[in-house]
Amino acid sequence: MEKRKNINGRSNRRVKINRGGMEANTLAILDSDEFHKDSQESKDDRLDFLEAVRTASIVPEDGPAPTEKMVEAVFQILRQGKSVELVMSSYELLNEIQKRFPRVRISESSDNGSHELVVVNEAWLPFMVSSDVMSNEREGKYSSDLFDINGFHEFIQGLAELAYKSSSERQDIESLRNMLLFQYLVNVLGGDFKPRVNVYKETMNWNLLRECILNILLSSRRVNYKVLMKDCLSTICGLSQYHAGIVDGSDCSETSMEKSSEDHNTDVAVALIEVQKTTCRAMENLMIMIMEFDVFKKQAEMKNQTSRADGVRTPLAEIILDELTYDRDLLHPFLQGFSDPKWKFEIIVQYFLKYTAKPSTRTRSSNGPPEDSPFIGVLKSFSNSTTTRNIIKKMDADIVQLLLSHAFQAYLSMSSQQHLPGMSDCKDDVIDGSDVELSQKIIAAFNGLRSVDE
Amino acid sequence: MDNDDPLDFEIEDPLLEKPAVSKRRRKVVELDDLLKEHYKEQSKLIEKEAKKKTKAQKIYDSDDEKHDKEAKLSSLLDDCQNQIKEISSEEEIPEWGLCVFGQQKTAPCLSFPELGSWSILQSFMNNELNSLLVLTTDQDCSFLEGLLINGWLLKLIFKCGHVEKSIATWTFFSMLYSSKEELRSSACEFWCSILSSKTQDKPIEIDWYPSYSELKSALEIYGFLFEFSSDTSVDNSSVHEEPPQNIITWIKFAAIYCQVRCKQSVLSTSDRQELVAIIICLFLDRRLQGLSVLLSNCMQSVLSSLTEEEWINSYPGIAKSLALRVPMDLNCLRAVQCIVGVDPRSKLLRSAVAFRILVKCFDNKVSDEEGILSSLIGINVKEKTCDFFKLYLYLVLTDNWLRYDPITRDKPVIHEMWGLLLRNCSYQIPSTDLRSNASKVRNKAAFLLQGIGNN
Repeated sequence: MEKRKNINGRSNRRVKINRGGMEANTLAILDSDEFHKDSQESKDDRLDFLEAVRTASIVPEDGPAPTEKMVEAVFQILRQGKSVELVMSSYELLNEIQKRFPRVRISESSDNGSHELVVVNEAWLPFMVSSDVMSNEREGKYSSDLFDINGFHEFIQGLAELAYKSSSERQDIESLRNMLLFQYLVNVLGGDFKPRVNVYKETMNWNLLRECILNILLSSRRVNYKVLMKDCLSTICGLSQYHAGIVDGSDCSETSMEKSSEDHNTDVAVALIEVQKTTCRAMENLMIMIMEFDVFKKQAEMKNQTSRADGVRTPLAEIILDELTYDRDLLHPFLQGFSDPKWKFEIIVQYFLKYTAKPSTRTRSSNGPPEDSPFIGVLKSFSNSTTTRNIIKKMDADIVQLLLSHAFQAYLSMSSQQHLPGMSDCKDDVIDGSDVELSQKIIAAFNGLRSVDE
Repeated sequence: MDNDDPLDFEIEDPLLEKPAVSKRRRKVVELDDLLKEHYKEQSKLIEKEAKKKTKAQKIYDSDDEKHDKEAKLSSLLDDCQNQIKEISSEEEIPEWGLCVFGQQKTAPCLSFPELGSWSILQSFMNNELNSLLVLTTDQDCSFLEGLLINGWLLKLIFKCGHVEKSIATWTFFSMLYSSKEELRSSACEFWCSILSSKTQDKPIEIDWYPSYSELKSALEIYGFLFEFSSDTSVDNSSVHEEPPQNIITWIKFAAIYCQVRCKQSVLSTSDRQELVAIIICLFLDRRLQGLSVLLSNCMQSVLSSLTEEEWINSYPGIAKSLALRVPMDLNCLRAVQCIVGVDPRSKLLRSAVAFRILVKCFDNKVSDEEGILSSLIGINVKEKTCDFFKLYLYLVLTDNWLRYDPITRDKPVIHEMWGLLLRNCSYQIPSTDLRSNASKVRNKAAFLLQGIGNN
């Protein structure tokens, strides 16, 4: 199913020569740079270089893909950029390249209309993937700046620390640069993962998914996977906390702007207002990808497609649940920062089930009528004052309310998108009916809580 | 032994601090470098003289006299330093960047008494469930703010499928004028969601749409300068105020709003034209650089919102009005380069803007393609007064004009003339040319020439 393609192989000679010439021409712009990295002149050269790469590859409709060296040079500019202009332009260019010349894409097979995966193995990656011998052997002078799993973990740790700084502390170009770099890395991981998922769904070929960069990175034994996942969780909580204004008080962004005007980095301050939110979304996307991978892996396990080589990892959803149980202070920022309704709903229901677990085991895959869904079961347990008391003993009434309202909202989002598990083919009126029903149950639960709480 | 190094005792002497001479190496030695060298030598001479004197003074001068001479010396040194600074700043081309925001005006009052009449709120207050929340009409604004920020308002609106005027105006004004970031962005999300529901099968009924003048007056209140002259550079930013953060939600809203096409057609074609020009002006403020992703999205959205006919009639006007507003320095290149130039429309716009600016460079005396190119070819690079910075601007502008408009570029005459111009600049300027920016022009022309050769 998987087809490996060589750029040079399929291209005709002329294009190959053009790519070589393009590389030489564009990289020559950077040549004089080595010694004076911070001068205005070198900054101009870098901007010229970015513009030249863009004009050569992105602007023409059938422009040649930039060579590895060129993309790497753009990446270096992002990693070392000291001005908002350089950081923003290199970030945008990298994303454009990623979109225009994806390393992994789906092509429609000419024979039977089925889809197959095309992987351009020569394409540049910001990651050092251990199974890829080539990248380990590559002796480019910059290769130490590529991310292997340890580098990636350190980077996320840095991001987690950053997320808990007050907004005035993080108003520097480095924060901005790291947040954008992270978004680009997630973008690359997603660009690799999503086409694989689509083809996997069609072909059920587990190898396609197993070979995704995300899995290769996370399977490395050189990293403490659980700690890495906890750092991801703590980053998303930290970033959402900012958004909720808990750290700096409600008018945080205004004061931070005033402060920054003294330091003359208004550009960074303005950029961060937006970039913090998009970074939070990027972290959410990363976590969703990992959780989806866990689900697919479980599927593959049940079909006996996995082998010992696939290893064992605790599913991320379980790690999140454990952490939220262990540290309830994380609940509120997590629910604020994490918006995907499907996973949010799932996590909240599982959270409740930890406390309201009933002897009858219900699995997610059971195809009972909607009343039988675990969430309805949770709601029903609040109709009885004894069980309600028992639950409140274990978790605060405030937390119950918080979880119920977030779950209800997630449920409504899903029902408007008709993504409700097990209800996807219901008609509109049926969903409306169950919305009213569910609302009544929620009201009943809140009333039950109140009567017990008083 | 390096003579430039200070002697041991000099390091301790704060008065003899060496002027901050930029040490960067240049590809070629320029006239300014020689001048700089000269001043450096001069200041060194003075230093040495001073050293001799201080040595002598150590033995017999009185303290008073010594201080007097030190003061004199330090003022001399200051002069030297200033002169060197002047020289180096003359040679540096100022970066692009304009202050597009000036004095802000007072935002309209954000009190909305009519909010209490929102039908859903009314019906809730009459419901027995209100015994849980005990809402009264006095406190509803903060209650509604909570609903908006936590996303419940949107859920309610999607359920009932109808936005009443009170809710629409309140959220719109909160989005543009609230000082609370959270409220602004939630209100913006609210509007973006209800507006994009227009394209789905169950569109939401919206009783009130903001007009273009309301959007524009928000910009006026933010202090946006609809007309700016070239002296509004970043250097005197002290007289200009910070760009208000509300501009972020403004840009996001404008991007979605221009997509709305309904019976009450909210934005006219000329509104959309003006919007494109405004976005390009926002690109020119360095303080908004971090918003370039949002700004590009917004521009793409406006460009794609025009019908084919509107587009054909619009883009020359957009280009002309921009050419009038943009100062003739690096800002004009920024104005061209901020247009993404990936899809056909933005390509055409980028080409047109570059062309109109070129026409303006020649005081609108020539406005045909060949005329522009032959005027450029007519520039004699060997002439002493040749302005290489301007020539550099012309080269980049012409490149943008032709690169993004293949129909013009592939005309044999144009192609021929462009090649000639590049060869002139590349071959007739020797690599040893010391005039400022001459090497910049030469390198650019050589680079572009290679691009032409490949095609």
